[in-house]
Amino acid sequence: MLPKREEQATTTVPKVSPKPKHKQMEPLKPARRKVKKDNHNTTGYLFISPFLLGFFTLTIFPILYSLYLSFTDYDLMGTPSWIGLDNYVRMFTDDPTFWKSMKVTFFYAGIAVPIRLVFALLVAMALNKIVEMVGLYRTLLYLPSVVGGSIAVSIMWRQLFGNDGAVNSILGALGLPTHSWLGDPDTAIWTLIVLYGWQFGSSMLIFLAGLRNIPKTYYEASSVDGAGPVKQFFIITIPLLTPVILFNTIMQVIQGFMAFTPSFVVTNGGPVNSTLLYVLYMYQRAFEYFDMGYASAMAWVMLVIIAIFTALIFKSSPHWVHYESDNK
Amino acid sequence: MKKRLLWSFCLGLALILFLSACSGSDEASGEGGSDDNGKEGDQVTLRMTWWGSQSRHDQTQEIIKKFEEENPDIKIDAEFTGFDGYFEKMAAQAAGNNLPDIMQQNFGEYLNQYADKGLLADLSEYVESGQINVEGVSETVMESGKKEGKLLGIPTGTNALTAFYNTDMLEEAGVEIPDENWTWDDYVATARKVHEETGEFGARLMEPKNLFEYYLREKGQKLFNEDGTALGYEDDQLLTDYFTMNKQLVDEGVAPGYDTIQQIKGVEDELIVHGKAPFDFRWSNQATALTSAAGDRNLEMTLLPGTNNTEGMYLKPAMLWSVSENSEHKEEAVRFIDFFTNNIEVYKIGGSDRGVPIKEDIRNQMADDLSETDKKVFDYIELVTENSSPIDSNFPPESSEVLAALEEVDELVMYGELSPEEGATQFREKATAILNR
Repeated sequence: MLPKREEQATTTVPKVSPKPKHKQMEPLKPARRKVKKDNHNTTGYLFISPFLLGFFTLTIFPILYSLYLSFTDYDLMGTPSWIGLDNYVRMFTDDPTFWKSMKVTFFYAGIAVPIRLVFALLVAMALNKIVEMVGLYRTLLYLPSVVGGSIAVSIMWRQLFGNDGAVNSILGALGLPTHSWLGDPDTAIWTLIVLYGWQFGSSMLIFLAGLRNIPKTYYEASSVDGAGPVKQFFIITIPLLTPVILFNTIMQVIQGFMAFTPSFVVTNGGPVNSTLLYVLYMYQRAFEYFDMGYASAMAWVMLVIIAIFTALIFKSSPHWVHYESDNK
Repeated sequence: MKKRLLWSFCLGLALILFLSACSGSDEASGEGGSDDNGKEGDQVTLRMTWWGSQSRHDQTQEIIKKFEEENPDIKIDAEFTGFDGYFEKMAAQAAGNNLPDIMQQNFGEYLNQYADKGLLADLSEYVESGQINVEGVSETVMESGKKEGKLLGIPTGTNALTAFYNTDMLEEAGVEIPDENWTWDDYVATARKVHEETGEFGARLMEPKNLFEYYLREKGQKLFNEDGTALGYEDDQLLTDYFTMNKQLVDEGVAPGYDTIQQIKGVEDELIVHGKAPFDFRWSNQATALTSAAGDRNLEMTLLPGTNNTEGMYLKPAMLWSVSENSEHKEEAVRFIDFFTNNIEVYKIGGSDRGVPIKEDIRNQMADDLSETDKKVFDYIELVTENSSPIDSNFPPESSEVLAALEEVDELVMYGELSPEEGATQFREKATAILNR
């Protein structure tokens, strides 16, 4: 459906535009065009200059500066002193906490991201079936993601899973054994994973848009051929949704690796570092131990890791992502 | 259609970001509403930061108001947070060359670090010229604000580690009320008895950062060696014993484990406040916050346990007032510090929240109308003064990391992932690695 629309657009535009031009003065066209083109560029750049300014001073410069800092010993207050690859060497050979945080982060992202994606898809499919008051349901289900990154939700989470929190009260009322969810190194990380899964809203919306774009005729045709809903899901929904799945997976993997707020607010990395996510450890290095050089090096290692994952997902995409336009 | 939607979405997003940025800066610049940190007419605006609890925030703002009334040419913009995050925020400001004019500073590794980088102004000249009046303040107290001959901070008051105990709970359990001669064995035995009799916790899990250092001092050892390049104690058995004592209490259910401790997010949540444990070891200036949260529970104070506790106990400057080196208004900043040190009004508002006042005549003036809690704190500091040894100031800049490692190992031991012996060895390895870097 999507490509079709685009085709329509591209086919109609040329049909309309050449006609008037033909009728009007032709000789002037080239010169005018050139001048206009230049003007367009400057005006264009002027229009996006607020962005460009911000992009170079607030994004590009800090990125490059942190690359420089990653080769220095810098405690935030003094001046950075060049130490070459020492930070990287120390990280990989002499810092068990670094590996611990790496392990925690992989575990977290490895479980939380699929959970969120599956959950988002299921909810999107349910919403797709609902006819009345879609807007209301969509908004309600999207809300957790809007407020999701915020401190308030994390604090609420801490209360929910605290020793005297709502979860334990409910369990107690039902006569089930209560548990110190945040205090037990084995369960603390799971409370964060559940929190991540709960904020499925943005992926859900994208899935929903994808689902809406699958023509109903396919389902009708297949049901005439005798395919049940499960079969339809696997032979129609999933293949036609793969581009959206690809997009969501990449976005969520990146987000999963960069998670900070939940572990910072809910558990602050504890107990016994069982929820010490990579970015939180990086923050501790930078601002609690005043080790900004090392933290910058960590940031670059994370960049490489995320880049590798994204590249892997992209590379694998020709094997499983199905674009309708390929068939035509 | 799609494109237009996308555009309006982006525009909307940009608008939201822009608006939120606006409102953010509005808050940051405070009541003054102008960003230029300097003179407004004839008025000088100073920035001032501190950490603390809500009661301190309220009191300090009241103190500032008093100061501004008496000094109409100075306006103070206050920035305050809890202790968590305070030094992170200050580090970022230091990196941006943007430290506040007046900052509440902490003794030990923090002061040493700031001193090392030359970020704080030397206040000696202001003391000599009498702009800060510290007449009659004992030399040892002033010494704690000095680093390499420079006076980098004026102590806000004196502080000491304290064993807080709840007399009601102890009486209910029928155990002896501790006095300053109690030993570690007394402490453990009392805690066990209270746990048996009342079913509540008999102790609060000891927080290793301050208490292990005290434990070492009480045994005649130090946490760091003279020049701060290595640990100051040789025998790992000391830490093993410390871990074993606490671990046993946790295993028996006498003291709570980290799963309970982790839920405590402020003095208001402390076990002793809620009658769930009879003991709590912490700094004496927190007495007011603790007792006001505890309501009608009777909290008393005494020295920490140990046969040698006069060796272990020490007086510490609760906090220091420092002026940043790059402040453009040092003279005015100094006037506030002088006001804080010498004006009785300050202590009428704040009591002993920032420690017991360093000036004797202030203490005497206060003596008549002290609150009950403050009176206890004053008496306690008196007691410590007679029964203490000088503070160790040989904390290297890396000590915050060493202490964090100690806390981590303590957690591992209390969770049973390491034995006390393994914990002691691992702490030495970690500390040595950090200090040798």
